Amino acid sequence: MDVKRDRIQTEGQEGVESELLTLNMGPQHPATHGVLRVEIKTDSEVVVQAIPHIGYLHRCFEKHAENLDYRGIIPFVDRMDYLAAMNMELGYVTACEKMMGQEVPIRAEYIRVIVCELGRIASHLLAFGTYAIDLGAFTPFLYAFDMREKILRFFEEISGARLLYNYIWIGGVWNDLTDAQLGLIETFCDEMWEEIDKYNNLVSYNKIFINRTANVGVLSEEAAYQYGATGPILRGSGVEWDLRKKRPYSIYDRFDFSIPVGSGEQGSKGDCWDRHIVRMREMYESIKIVRQCLKGIEAGPVMSKVSKIIRLPQGEIYHKTESPRGEIGYHIVSTGDKKPHRIKVKSPCFTHVSLLPHLAPGLLVADFVAVIGSIDIVLGEVDR
Amino acid sequence: MHEEWAALLSDRVPDCEAKVVFGKAGDKSIFVASPSLHRVCTLLFSHEDFDFHVLQLITGHDYLASEETKDTPAQRARIEVSYLLTSFRKNHDLILKVELPRENPTLDSVCDLWASANFQERECFDMVGVRFENHPDLRRILCPDDWEGYPLRRDYEVQKSWHGMEVEPEHKMNLPEREFEKRQKEMAAKHGV
Amino acid sequence: MISERMEAKGLSDFEESISFRQYFINIWQAVFSVAKGMWITFRYVWAHKPVTIEYPEVREVLPERSRGRLYNDVADCIACNQCAMVCPVDCIYIASTPKPEGEEIPKTSNGTPIRLNLNQFTIDEALCCYCGLCTTVCPTECLTHTKDFEFTQYDLDQMKYDYLDPEIVAWRDRIVEK
Repeated sequence: MDVKRDRIQTEGQEGVESELLTLNMGPQHPATHGVLRVEIKTDSEVVVQAIPHIGYLHRCFEKHAENLDYRGIIPFVDRMDYLAAMNMELGYVTACEKMMGQEVPIRAEYIRVIVCELGRIASHLLAFGTYAIDLGAFTPFLYAFDMREKILRFFEEISGARLLYNYIWIGGVWNDLTDAQLGLIETFCDEMWEEIDKYNNLVSYNKIFINRTANVGVLSEEAAYQYGATGPILRGSGVEWDLRKKRPYSIYDRFDFSIPVGSGEQGSKGDCWDRHIVRMREMYESIKIVRQCLKGIEAGPVMSKVSKIIRLPQGEIYHKTESPRGEIGYHIVSTGDKKPHRIKVKSPCFTHVSLLPHLAPGLLVADFVAVIGSIDIVLGEVDR
Repeated sequence: MHEEWAALLSDRVPDCEAKVVFGKAGDKSIFVASPSLHRVCTLLFSHEDFDFHVLQLITGHDYLASEETKDTPAQRARIEVSYLLTSFRKNHDLILKVELPRENPTLDSVCDLWASANFQERECFDMVGVRFENHPDLRRILCPDDWEGYPLRRDYEVQKSWHGMEVEPEHKMNLPEREFEKRQKEMAAKHGV
Repeated sequence: MISERMEAKGLSDFEESISFRQYFINIWQAVFSVAKGMWITFRYVWAHKPVTIEYPEVREVLPERSRGRLYNDVADCIACNQCAMVCPVDCIYIASTPKPEGEEIPKTSNGTPIRLNLNQFTIDEALCCYCGLCTTVCPTECLTHTKDFEFTQYDLDQMKYDYLDPEIVAWRDRIVEK
């Protein structure tokens, strides 16, 4: 989208000139979910062009990683997507294990799946709550955080931290779960299932909410491919693509669950409502997976023997897993040293930010907020 | 599968010199000659056997020249750029690689094929300093516009100050604690203990 | 005026004309769905217990594994330097010298001989990222995370804790008593 003319001539009003208004949204704007700054050019109330400016949270994780050993990278990986740190850890750790040919005890695999799916629910709850805030409803946010707090509390009990866990290690997980904790998850699952029904009645099928989101920010399937969208954004556009199903990693091939896709129920396929409802339905699927895990979990060790200094063999790997926001991929290049030569992270939010210039033209400013909320950006991951 | 792809690529784009590279573990990748990159990508994008309709990642790797040591094999100075291509329809992946010199690395942009290449190429330019020709808007993306140097080069040294702000100020480096041992030895030598 | 411009941009559905019937259906749906949501909110008034606590007066009991401020019991420390090596942010500073010959070699509580004199054990808690790696590698388990999370200071330098300082032990006792 090329905006050459800053001055606009409206028909029937010759001699009166109007200009495009440049509006800076962010970096400290409540609707940008972090330190994203979007420079929007508006013609009256309509967005003509949006230019995202990112990098306010840039720490150059990739440079840090070049000077750390493979174990020491895990705490840094947490800090990228701080809302779903377990899923980020799983991606990195499975990439290393695949490269090393490291065996993982089966109990550890089950625990990994449990914590990752709980992490996905926690992350989607936050996405749901803040999305409601973006659109002017405050109450659902409190309900979502009430449930999210229970998950965080559970994570604190097993790993010792609420947000940045360093729990999934190369070769297994740090601590074992007790039977009491597993029982706790079971009651949580039942509770959560009812809660999501509530959220759907409260927000998703509310007429005002539907009017705000349906037919807004429509992303076609072809555009989703073009921009490399993944995760709920891609599924919202009607593509049935989930790495847990299409390329099972860990032990996801043992579980029975379905992939929710957007179908244009309330508007057209690929609009904000579809992306929202895909997240809500994914929470049901996550609960299903956790329940199957609780049935199938076996006794045994949670950590296999790993040498004290981890060396990856010479070569490279690109391993991707499904995080709540899309595909998180780790491209690890090793020269056989105890430090990686280069780690590059394919962050889903980074590609989703590049969707904004595509989706924005023609939207109202208020709808643009709805679009940013619906793609659920975490700036820690965008800027790395 | 990679060998068949490489053969097909060499067949269709005669000057691409496609070859399959594999380390001791991990994934296979296909190397092509850098001048033919855009033609290779066009083929990968449109040919029905490949059908790589999604570009996921563009990475730059910097290698300094080094001797062979116990841990690492010898390297020559180069920059490698990897393109990670995926097909959701056919469910396969490819790591496509090109090699560039460390001085003035330039490549053809693939923004006309995949829109996602826009941000990825900007990041590659920002971090490793690969210049992409025909890119619509080649600016720095993560670093400030007037930042010097390319952070992910192996010989990168951070600039001393930026807009009057000191980078890595000494009073935040915990020098007294770091040099405690050294100072102790100096004191011991001085007092002849 | 605005609607004309939007029409030119292909946004004709902004003020789309709807049928009389649809108009009333919309009103009914809006009223019904809002009432449904209000009912859910209404039930929270009685059916939901308060979940917030009034922090300074009421304190939460933290789980056993909570990772708070680090504490090193220097009597058990053998100055093996493993925690400083594994720390991803390099916030642990250790200096030690070998014990002079002939001096008696003490033992830690789990029987490991202490062969080095510990001269410095400082942790910059402001840098610490609370990842817990240092506590897992510690062979004598003298370096542990306490459950203390209230240690704000006025100055950044005050966040550096010297664990050879006797005052630290007093701090530790205060925490344990609670």
